[in-house]
Amino acid sequence: MAKVIKHQFFFPHPVETVWQYLTESELMEQWLMKNNFQPIVGFDFQFRTGPIPSLDFDGIFYCKVLEIVPFKKLSYSWKSGPGEGEITLDSVVVWQLQSTDKGTEVFLEHKGFAKKENLNFYNGLTQGWIEKLNKIADLLNAAENGNTNA
Amino acid sequence: MLLSEDSLTINNLADNFQMSRPAVSKHIKILHNAGFISIEDIGRERYCTLKKDGFQELQAWLSYFDQFWASKLKKLETLLNKKLPN
Repeated sequence: MAKVIKHQFFFPHPVETVWQYLTESELMEQWLMKNNFQPIVGFDFQFRTGPIPSLDFDGIFYCKVLEIVPFKKLSYSWKSGPGEGEITLDSVVVWQLQSTDKGTEVFLEHKGFAKKENLNFYNGLTQGWIEKLNKIADLLNAAENGNTNA
Repeated sequence: MLLSEDSLTINNLADNFQMSRPAVSKHIKILHNAGFISIEDIGRERYCTLKKDGFQELQAWLSYFDQFWASKLKKLETLLNKKLPN
């Protein structure tokens, strides 16, 4: 199991355009989620989507802008919980952009996963656990895909 | 994995490892603090049990977000390509 979710994606478009889609609220909504993002460090904002009861998720991601380096880097905290302001999942999303001849290389990292009651999560993990966890995840996925209406 | 079937005392657990009992104890403490193991005192022994909730939920989130971002990026790609044909 990865501690960090990483995705790399190439877009055949200029870095300025990709940056716009990552940092302008209305454009973000078109591919990501409804939000009230503003590109200001320290700004608190939310993404809103459907709740997922099985994940203790009320449908709101509570975020704060952590870092902005125009056309290069954007990061925000990403927290969620079952409702009424209770936070049970804490993480960080980092976007990095790299301009190339043909377009823009985008590196996404979603990391720092911690649950409130087990912030030491990764300290205690060993390979043996990881294999088991992957199995559990597969089972959970199968179960969730079978009866999800979230 | 020893705890997945049963609850064991710290001494029982230590018998399964090449580590010293204090070393095993230390590992148990980390897992306990992390919310993955519950410890119950019965008589003079401490019994450890695996708590599965913490594991499962975090792992479920990780899988969820992995797919989530893959599909969102795909969507962004479609959007960009439609808007700005090469």
